[in-house]
Amino acid sequence: MRAEVRLLAIGLLLVSLAGCGGLHRDAAQAGLVGCPRQTAAGLIATQDTLGPLSDERVLMCALDFLRGSDDAALRRSSLGSRICLHLAERDADPVERERYAWEGVRFAEAAVAQGGKDDGSVHYYLAANLGLAVRDDMTQAMANLHRLEDEFKLAAKLSPDYDAGGPLRLLGMLYLKAPPWPSGIGDGDKALDLLKQAVDKHPTHPLNHLFYAQAMWEVDGELDSKLVKQEMNTGMKLLDSGNWGYNKKTWKREFADLHEEIGDAPQ
Amino acid sequence: MTYKIPRFFLLAALLLPLAPAMAGDPAPVVVCYPGGPVNERDADQAMDAMLRVVERVGQWPAQSFTSAFTAKAAECEKFMADKKPAFAITSLGLYLQLRGQYDLVPVVQPKIGGRTSERYRVVAQKGRFHGLAELKGKSLGGTVLDEPDFIGKIVFAGKYDPAKDFALQPSRQAIRALRSLDKGELDAVVLNEQQFAGLDALGLSNPVEVVFTSEDIPLMGVVANAKLSTADDRVRFGKALEGTCSDAEGKKLCDLFGVQSFVAVNPVVFDPMAKLWLARN
Repeated sequence: MRAEVRLLAIGLLLVSLAGCGGLHRDAAQAGLVGCPRQTAAGLIATQDTLGPLSDERVLMCALDFLRGSDDAALRRSSLGSRICLHLAERDADPVERERYAWEGVRFAEAAVAQGGKDDGSVHYYLAANLGLAVRDDMTQAMANLHRLEDEFKLAAKLSPDYDAGGPLRLLGMLYLKAPPWPSGIGDGDKALDLLKQAVDKHPTHPLNHLFYAQAMWEVDGELDSKLVKQEMNTGMKLLDSGNWGYNKKTWKREFADLHEEIGDAPQ
Repeated sequence: MTYKIPRFFLLAALLLPLAPAMAGDPAPVVVCYPGGPVNERDADQAMDAMLRVVERVGQWPAQSFTSAFTAKAAECEKFMADKKPAFAITSLGLYLQLRGQYDLVPVVQPKIGGRTSERYRVVAQKGRFHGLAELKGKSLGGTVLDEPDFIGKIVFAGKYDPAKDFALQPSRQAIRALRSLDKGELDAVVLNEQQFAGLDALGLSNPVEVVFTSEDIPLMGVVANAKLSTADDRVRFGKALEGTCSDAEGKKLCDLFGVQSFVAVNPVVFDPMAKLWLARN
C-alpha cells in the first residue's frame, strides 16, 4: 500500500497527541448506510486490495466495520490505520482530514497494544497518520518530533521495504523537514542517505525519486540542479505511466510544487 | 539573523499585532533569513500558520498580515523595494546594509538565555591552530558565511576579510560543516552562539577548541521603516511583542524556541555595529 504524508515545514513541523478518548468517540463520521455485509475473515482476505485504487466508499465501509470489530487479528493489524490514512489524504476538508488521521493514530496504538508491536507497518502508519494529524499545528508538531522519529525508525528497522521503501522515504523526509541541528532533529545528510536508499532499493516508486530530488535541492541547492531535475523527471515518468489511483492527483501536485520551487515549472 | 530558524519564525509571527490599523490587503511582513537551510515554500506556510496565531493573540482580524520570506540576501533587497513593508525581520547584516536606504529602526530584540546579544566563535580541531592568524589561507566553513561582509566587518571587527583571508566554504547546514571539520575536510568552522552551545551534544569523534571569539553582538529582531510606520505604531508593536511571552498561547511558542521574552530595543546597542559596518565601506 502506498501512503504519502506531507510532513510539514521548515523547521517548524510536527506533533502532539491530543486527548482523543475512545477510538469511536472522536472518529470521523462515515455516515454510512448500505455497506455490503462483511466479516473479519473476509476483510482480512481482501485487505491488500484496499488502498489507492479503492473507491472512497469501499474504504469507508471497511473502516465502519473495523470500528465495531473486536477481531484480534484485525485489531493488531495496520489495516484500520492504513485506511484512515488513505481517507485523510483524500479529504479536502482539513478538519475531517485531521480527524481521520487521529483515528488512524488510535487504530495503530490499539494495534501495538494488542500484539502488533513487531509489525513494521503498524508503526509506519502510526507515524504517517501522526505527521498528517499535526502538520498544521506547529507547537504540537514540534512536541512530537521525537515520537515521529522513533516510530519511523522502528518501521524502517522492522519493515524497510514496506510500501516500496515507505519507512525510509518518510523518515528521510522527516529529517529533511524537521528543524535542523542544533534546535531539532533535522539532518540533511541523514535525509539524503535514507532517500537515496529508497531510490536504489525501490526505483519504481515515483515518490522515492521526488523526495530524493527535493532533498538534493534543499540540502545542496544549485550545486545539484541537474541531478535534481533528472531525478524529478524519472519520478514524473513513473507517475504518468503507472496506475497510482487516487494518489496520482496529490502526487502530481507535489511534483508541480517542486518544479515551481526550482523555477522549472512544467509546460 | 543567524540564530535558529524557528526563533526567526517566532519573531515574524509576533510581528502581526502591529499591522492592525492597515485596512484592506494584508500588510506584508518581509522576513529575510540569508543562508538558512530553508524551503521557502515551506517557510511561507509555516510563517502563515504562525501569523494566524499571532493575529489571534494580538486580537487583530485574521489575515491582517501576510509574510514574504526569502533565504536569499539579494531577494530580500528586492522584497524590501517591491513590498515596502512597514515592518521586517532581517539579519543584523541585512539591517546594517539596508537601514539607510529604508530608514530602518530596530523595534524589539529577543532575550535568549538571559541575554540580548551573542558571540560568534571559530572552532578547529584541538591543537591544530592557535588563533585566527594561523588560519589565514585555510578553509573556513559555516552557515553564517552567507553574509561574508557581516562576518568580516562585525564578527571579525574588520580585522580580517573572509573572502581574501580564508578559503570560504559556506554551508546550508551547520552540522555538515562540523562533520567535515571532524573528518579533517575543513580547517575551521564559524558558529553562532546557539550552534556553539549545541556542540557537546553532537558527539564529534575529534575534540574541537575555540580559536576565536567575537565581542558581544546584539541579537537582531524586528525592524521598522521609520517613514512607513509612525512612532505610535512602533510603540504599539513593541508593547504587543513584549507581552507575548506572558500570553498563554504565546508562551508555548516562546518556550518552544527558548525565547524568554521580547524587549524594547535600546538603539544605542546597535551604534557600535553601525560604526564597524561603515569603517571599511
